[in-house]
Amino acid sequence: MALLQIAEPGQSAKPHQRKFAVGIDLGTTHSLVATVRSGRAETLPNSLGGHLLPSVVRYRLDELPQVGSKALQHVVDDAPNTIMSVKRLMGRGLQDVTRLGESMPYVFEACEDGMPMLHTTAGLKSPVQVSADILRVLAQRGEASLGGELVGAVITVPAYFDDAQRQATKDAATLAGIQVLRLLNEPTAAAVAYGLDNEKQGTIAVFDLGGGTFDISVLRMQKGVFQVLSTGGDSALGGDDFDHAIADWVCQQRDIVNLNLSQQRFLLRQARTAKEALSQVSATDLSFAGWPGVSCPLDVELDREKLNSLLDPIIAKALRATKKTLRDAGLGVAEVDQVVMVGGSTRAIRVQERVAELFDKPPLTSIDPDRVVALGAARQADVLVGNQAGEEMLLLDVLPLSLGLETMGGLVEKVIDRNTPIPVARAQDFTTYQDGQTAMVVHVLQGERDLVQDCRSLSRFELRGIPPMAAGAAKIRVTFQVDADGLLEVSARELASGVAATIQVKPSYGLSENQIADMIKASWSNVAEDRGARSLREQQVEADRLLEAIAVAMQADGERLLTTVEQQTIVTQMEALIVARGGDDHHAITKQIDVLAKATDEFASRRMDDSIKRALAGKAVDNI
Amino acid sequence: MDLSKDYFSSYDLPIAFQVDLTALVDRHRQLQQIYHPDRFAVATDAEQRVAVQITSYLNQAYGVLRSPLRRAIYLLELQGMEPLAPTNTSMPMDFLLQQMQLRERMEELPLAADVEAQLDGLADELLIMHNKLQGEFAVAYNDAQFELAETVVRKLQFIDKLQQECNDLEGRLLD
Repeated sequence: MALLQIAEPGQSAKPHQRKFAVGIDLGTTHSLVATVRSGRAETLPNSLGGHLLPSVVRYRLDELPQVGSKALQHVVDDAPNTIMSVKRLMGRGLQDVTRLGESMPYVFEACEDGMPMLHTTAGLKSPVQVSADILRVLAQRGEASLGGELVGAVITVPAYFDDAQRQATKDAATLAGIQVLRLLNEPTAAAVAYGLDNEKQGTIAVFDLGGGTFDISVLRMQKGVFQVLSTGGDSALGGDDFDHAIADWVCQQRDIVNLNLSQQRFLLRQARTAKEALSQVSATDLSFAGWPGVSCPLDVELDREKLNSLLDPIIAKALRATKKTLRDAGLGVAEVDQVVMVGGSTRAIRVQERVAELFDKPPLTSIDPDRVVALGAARQADVLVGNQAGEEMLLLDVLPLSLGLETMGGLVEKVIDRNTPIPVARAQDFTTYQDGQTAMVVHVLQGERDLVQDCRSLSRFELRGIPPMAAGAAKIRVTFQVDADGLLEVSARELASGVAATIQVKPSYGLSENQIADMIKASWSNVAEDRGARSLREQQVEADRLLEAIAVAMQADGERLLTTVEQQTIVTQMEALIVARGGDDHHAITKQIDVLAKATDEFASRRMDDSIKRALAGKAVDNI
Repeated sequence: MDLSKDYFSSYDLPIAFQVDLTALVDRHRQLQQIYHPDRFAVATDAEQRVAVQITSYLNQAYGVLRSPLRRAIYLLELQGMEPLAPTNTSMPMDFLLQQMQLRERMEELPLAADVEAQLDGLADELLIMHNKLQGEFAVAYNDAQFELAETVVRKLQFIDKLQQECNDLEGRLLD
């Protein structure tokens, strides 16, 4: 609601108006918050000096949830209430979650709209709520470090995240009270972290191998503009596969079969330890002392050569995906100038060797692969809130997965192809197939496959109120709009009659606006006593901010850009807000803020056009 | 930003098939610097909406202007024609025969001993044909022979499609 407080293009905020903004890497195993201070991006520690916040939340009866290391300590003794790896559940339906959750000790329950909920001692929790609890801690850490309220945050997501997963991430931030400046793709963030520190130009490949996912992005950097050319990867490939390959090999060596869950976990932990040790030494023993419930079998020796042979088939998959993504960008390996390594699994020496072989140049590893994403996000956040004077950095991203519609026979017709630059809008026309048909269902899907069942269902739209006509006479235009966060919005209208068909949107997963509002309210009930007072104060501050901004804008441009009637309308609504602000009903203030904001929408849009016109008139286009 | 103008005018380019690609890329970057939603991250919803609309338009326009095929189609559309209308299917017989031969070659290609060389050869040939058709279109369009230009566009679309399939095939075979 910072109406009209923005600087005009080319201008920057004055130093004393420096705004607090952070970048947040909301990771599967751990999360980080970073900011830019004195021109340097840095991750922020907690009060004990730790930077990585384990992405673990433990729910307790009648107490606030524990987040991070404290929660991590209870992973074994309070498994059902201690939620790990919630990122893998974001934006997923109950079916996916049940499958993914097989190795997870949680009890899932479907709520009315099919969204999966986790059963905890503190009640049902959705993955969005769990993520919000993590985000809240990170935002608090940011505010404590910076000593002020955050204007907003850039939150990173894997490039392959689909619309539902992105929307869920944004919902979590909203629930945590964080203004999302932008959802940024993790590989893009990493490129920014390297790019700005080193002033590089050219083509960059970002090789991001995490615990369970592999992401590859190809970007071109020129004059501060980072343009994503293509993205690809494998959402089921990562360092965990290394551990499994080692564990399977050990079982073969010792003819071990039928491990139970805790034995399996123990073996995987040993495998991981051995894998990490082999980055330093040439051979190590996998020790089985303390293997739960089994008399101790002999140690197994693993050397680097054997490790490489176990890792190579997995790395080869990642390299294949890399080559494909380069082809999508129309490039060969030789045309890549820099390779950036992201994700803990790129610490494995073998991964670095094979990547260096493919590109015939050593990859960049100078920034901690665990932190590089958060650092890049912090850079972007700093630019977005206008802290960078004269900063020209701009990130141009692409749609990671194609968007399409269900057609006859359960087939998907693509409407927007993957790797299309965003924001993007496309319209598609439909017609009726029966005389007098007044409604139709449009099914929106995301993915590369041809069959509906192989793609992710994003939403079903029911178009009602189509005027009855002969079959094929009605023409319904459905418009897809993808914004800079990669989020989709769909609208529809009937063209032949000019009648707008009403549209009913039901998200297949994710939350509706009302659900978010309800959850935000519910989260306030923890502090029921001062909830009303806090809301009132917040709304009063918001009202003052809006009133002041509009007053300034009216003084500057009111007479020039608005008719007398339009000015009067705005003044009337301002007066109404001043009256509401003086009362003690925060709902009334919220309502009037909305009314006033709507009343000034058109003014804002004219001011923007006007300021851009002036900015363009003021300089030669070459200097923009 | 007037979104009702033609794409060429929005990019300060003359309405023609030949496009100065360097100028196009530079201009696109400049326009993105001004209008991208990132420039309005802390602005009102209304301003952000306008920014998303404008950049969507720019991305659409840029995609059309950058691609010879889409640019050619667009130029004819500006003339009130519908070069890709489904009813518009008549093609010269010799061109259709050539298409069939090319398709046969592509189908047999995976079985060849020297797949990679064969692929490269086919891709080169397609590129030459594509360039030649672009030249033919430019001449026809400049001479205001729009019917002829329309036929060339449809040929161009065939070749364009073959190029894409050739790329996909390369991806599948070399993985």
